[in-house]
Amino acid sequence: MTVIKVLYVDDEENNLSSFKANFRRLYEIYTATSGAGALDILSQTEVHVVISDQRMPEMTGVELFKKVKKLYPEPIRILLTGYTDIDALAGAINEGDIYRYITKPWNEIELNNGIQNAYDVFKTRRELKDKVEELEKTNDELNRFIYSISHELRAPLASALGVINLAKLDNVYHESEKGHEYWGLIEDCCARLDYNITSTLQYYKNSRYSTIKEEVDFQKLVNELIVVHKLANNVEDKIKFDVNIDQSEKFFGDVFRIEIIIGNLISNAIKYQNPDEQNKLIQIDVKVNRLDAIITIIDNGLGILNDHLNKIFNQFFRIHNQKGTGLGLFIVREALAKLDGKISVESVVNSGTKFTLRIPNEL
Amino acid sequence: MASALQTPNLLIIIDDSSFDLRINSGIASHTKLFKQIVCFSSAVAALDFLAENINNPEIFPHVIFLDIQMPEMDGFEFLERYDTFPNEFKAKSHVIMISSTDDLRDIVRAESDRNVVKLLKKPLQIEALKTLVAKIYKL
Repeated sequence: MTVIKVLYVDDEENNLSSFKANFRRLYEIYTATSGAGALDILSQTEVHVVISDQRMPEMTGVELFKKVKKLYPEPIRILLTGYTDIDALAGAINEGDIYRYITKPWNEIELNNGIQNAYDVFKTRRELKDKVEELEKTNDELNRFIYSISHELRAPLASALGVINLAKLDNVYHESEKGHEYWGLIEDCCARLDYNITSTLQYYKNSRYSTIKEEVDFQKLVNELIVVHKLANNVEDKIKFDVNIDQSEKFFGDVFRIEIIIGNLISNAIKYQNPDEQNKLIQIDVKVNRLDAIITIIDNGLGILNDHLNKIFNQFFRIHNQKGTGLGLFIVREALAKLDGKISVESVVNSGTKFTLRIPNEL
Repeated sequence: MASALQTPNLLIIIDDSSFDLRINSGIASHTKLFKQIVCFSSAVAALDFLAENINNPEIFPHVIFLDIQMPEMDGFEFLERYDTFPNEFKAKSHVIMISSTDDLRDIVRAESDRNVVKLLKKPLQIEALKTLVAKIYKL
């Protein structure tokens, strides 16, 4: 068990001696006969509780505690004082300079209780501080972990997909029917794993980070997301994007979550294109007013069956069997819920899908 | 040097992953666009090589494949050093970043660097590479 360290300040030597006589078996005791002496001790030793007499020449107890609070905020401060001083102390007590005052002459039990309570406060605060530091450290590590894992997991996966590409170029892939099937299966597995990593990370980040408010430039955001997702899906310029942003009002919101939401919808619009369609088109409209941003994302892709429309936002629901984990739209819904946003969907099979989003403007 | 502009002679690949060096050099040689391919597993080594041969027209890196995440010196740090090379050099040498990154900030940063022609995502697609090199050299 830690020994409680107590500093006792009093200009009367007799009081110091009787304090020592009473408490030396219970505590590690430091004494000073003036405020200056007390500050000197505090600069060298970490004490838990400071007890000071109010009436001292040069520096009063309250004056000392104001300095101690500023320089060494951790030790808990107890003031010893006669009844006559109490009015003058009210300010100091209310400002939190003093944890407790004990009237003079003190009795052993009362003062001992005061020291014990003060130490409990010290200990609780210290534990809280340690916990906060520990949590901040863990948070930091987790964030770094998340960033590096997305690289550490994805890089070898991209290499595996690279080997498959090379196998195709070297005609290994198509050598035999079985070989072709197996290579194809490996390719699908890798693609699915890649998608799983992305969605899991997004889901994790969404559930974890508290929402933040910053200015959003939709023109920039949407264009960046289009670049990213064209790249991710290797579509180059085979799909036409028609982007229309009407943002004369400023918009404030959680960029990170808005990025996840629009990104997932763009990615789906790219993925679920109709391969037979000659003029693949994705139309993105954003209209910002003081209350919301209204975003519509329309594609002329495969579309969704009416029966499926109310299930698409459920976790692990999938329509197009070959791709996806059924996490994308679930993440969209979760992220939107954090922003108090709304989403609706209309779709016609083989003709296209339209998602309409409404995200509140935190202006 | 005028003839050097017509077809890329030397390709330099910088990537800390030996897998990706093997894969991307394999894919690059399938394009039949490069006469020579030299691989470096560290950006520092590549930079030393480039600096040593800076006045040697025989060893001129017409195209450089540059990975982003690498230990010691990453792709962006390489680009900072590369930026100090003479302008005549940079005008004829084309950096293509090749990465598996998913981080929006990395992607935007790569695309906005004045010495980077384009960012291609791993796994490298031969068609995307062919199209890009053809565009650079107006083939």
